[in-house]
Amino acid sequence: MTLLLALAVLGTLLAGTLFAAVLDRTALPLVAAFGRQRVETEAPDRMNRDLAPAWYLALAAVGLSVVPFAPGLALIDSPVGIVIWGACEALTVVTVFLHGWSPNAPFPLIGAYRYAAIGLPVMLPSMFVLIAAALPAESLSLVAIVESQREIWNVVRQPLGLPLFLVVALALTLRGPMDYADAADIASGTSAEDSGPARAAWQVARLAMLVSVSAIAATVFLGGPLGPVLPGPVWLWLKTAVLMALIVWLGDRVARTTPSRMLGILWVVLLPLSFLDLVISGVLAL
Amino acid sequence: MVTIGIIVGWTAIAAALVVLLAPAAKSTGPQAMPFLGGGTPDTHAWQRYHFRPYTMALLFIAFEMEMMFMYPWAVVFVSEGIKALAEMGMFLAILSVGILYGWREGIFRWQ
Amino acid sequence: MAVTRFGSLAARAPVPIFAAIGPGRQADVERLLARRGLRRAHSPRDAAVLLVSGDLPDDMLEALSRVHAQLPHPRATVRWIDETADEIADRLRDAWHDLCAGVTDEEDRLPDVPPNEWKGVGPHGQGGEGMMGGTPYGRSMAMTGPDIRDGLQLDRYTARIGPFAPMLPPGLVLEVTLQGDVICDATVANAAFAQPAGADAPELCAGRVVRLLGLEAAADRLIEGKRPGAVWLRGAVPSGLGLAEGTEARGRLGAWLAGEVVTVAPVDLPDFLEGAEWSEAALLLASLPPSAIIRATRPTEVA
Repeated sequence: MTLLLALAVLGTLLAGTLFAAVLDRTALPLVAAFGRQRVETEAPDRMNRDLAPAWYLALAAVGLSVVPFAPGLALIDSPVGIVIWGACEALTVVTVFLHGWSPNAPFPLIGAYRYAAIGLPVMLPSMFVLIAAALPAESLSLVAIVESQREIWNVVRQPLGLPLFLVVALALTLRGPMDYADAADIASGTSAEDSGPARAAWQVARLAMLVSVSAIAATVFLGGPLGPVLPGPVWLWLKTAVLMALIVWLGDRVARTTPSRMLGILWVVLLPLSFLDLVISGVLAL
Repeated sequence: MVTIGIIVGWTAIAAALVVLLAPAAKSTGPQAMPFLGGGTPDTHAWQRYHFRPYTMALLFIAFEMEMMFMYPWAVVFVSEGIKALAEMGMFLAILSVGILYGWREGIFRWQ
Repeated sequence: MAVTRFGSLAARAPVPIFAAIGPGRQADVERLLARRGLRRAHSPRDAAVLLVSGDLPDDMLEALSRVHAQLPHPRATVRWIDETADEIADRLRDAWHDLCAGVTDEEDRLPDVPPNEWKGVGPHGQGGEGMMGGTPYGRSMAMTGPDIRDGLQLDRYTARIGPFAPMLPPGLVLEVTLQGDVICDATVANAAFAQPAGADAPELCAGRVVRLLGLEAAADRLIEGKRPGAVWLRGAVPSGLGLAEGTEARGRLGAWLAGEVVTVAPVDLPDFLEGAEWSEAALLLASLPPSAIIRATRPTEVA
């Protein structure tokens, strides 16, 4: 069973990444990048430069592993699934920082520190909305959170949860309004010195993370594999695909403000909203 | 144990994939220069960087610790009932005063 | 067989172009790169074709060679002198097809030497006076100085950025000293290239700002004269940024989005930029019409 679930995770990640590349219209540019030279920068941190895309990809795979593909069936069926996903989120900030740090070049370095400044406060609303989803389930396990949504999905029970989590998803996948690592004013930031297959690897990992974060959002807020007629995995895939398209669409449609201003918005607007979300969920759960 | 095995397994596969797929990076001297739109730098980019939101980072630590208390709290919330809600409400209220104070002091600005 | 199939698949991708924009060609290049099938790379590392437009002054050729060297192999250069936009778009596509077929490449124009002489003590040249005194890998380390915002003694990073930096007006070379990402000191090392009045067209000006707001597709739609199809454009520009003659960056973007031409009197550019965070500085420069930046950096020619 474990092997079957591992194959399901791998297959979902591969197919999802391909779908994300099509949504993003980056499939052909990624193929083209594989045929090009990989440039070495001046005195880089080679180990971190080589491994940053690997960590990003691994975090996406681990994040997807805690998602139940059918009611009661997850590759990592942990009683603390939410905590494992939270660790993946936090380590993503570290990974993006290392990716920007490693080439020893100014624009990637600025992008790395900028992302650290924005990525840290983004973790807070994320954990508040996930914990708000754990309250009615009386468990931190994603399997239990799916079970608690048999009657009503969390997207109805905590209406602020999904919108707040979409902001987190945009930040984790370096997209549109929350893409402070790879902004245009720093010549695509942490990716500015990436070329050839290394650039493609980072972009593929970024698309894989989009699959994971969408699957988590589908599980926590849209009932995951629950649904009539069709089997569980198909419902999960459908909901994940819809959320992926929504996140890509938002990323292309919403403008990004300056990092200093976003920092204030995160603490003064989004964090109190996530408090409110927790209170609503808590009162309803009693 | 299975969990750790799966996490290590994915990490090993990802690392092997990325390292095997990427060829060795090679460059000539001018090609290796950091991109500055045709300009030149005086020094290496690595530096004792001025991380401007450092005051925010202090407040962030307080919230991260608070998060640790929330995990067990979430599990017992329904069985403890209104008492758990009131306790966490008070805790969050105190932390919120911290946000308001920090906001007044301008800690969310780029220093 | 496998190689050619891979190449033909890659050739169908949009042409990744890094644009080195010369005098008088800003509007033409911006309109050209908004076309389908051409993609504007933010960094030469992401590009395969270097588009050199206009008649570059001799003292900018070394900078051009540096950018050229930074493109990964295989790479090509396309010069735009007096062809029409359609002709040059075809030549860009042909160059990309040749690159994907593996028949062309270009060598560096600069000699293969390290940027500085390797010196210092120890296996990495790390030794020297004090902790940061050496010149590891032929380049020295940044040294500390007081910050202009909070006075902390942290490292100052000095570099010349431009003339082909995609976030700055073409031709402008800024010698900036950054502490973190805030500009402590800025001087104009080379003036922005002169551009005809066409560069002040509202859709092009709005496109430049919107690109910095992270909306590539919306910027391309604006340049083609369509609606941007994006939200929070004016709101994303901080209020009070780039105050000049009673208009601010947000208001100027609003005017451009409404299709109005904006004129601004020359500003004191270093004074404008000092103390700004880098993304604010880039927004600020994009929120000034090219004519204002050219007059601000070339005061003698106006007088």
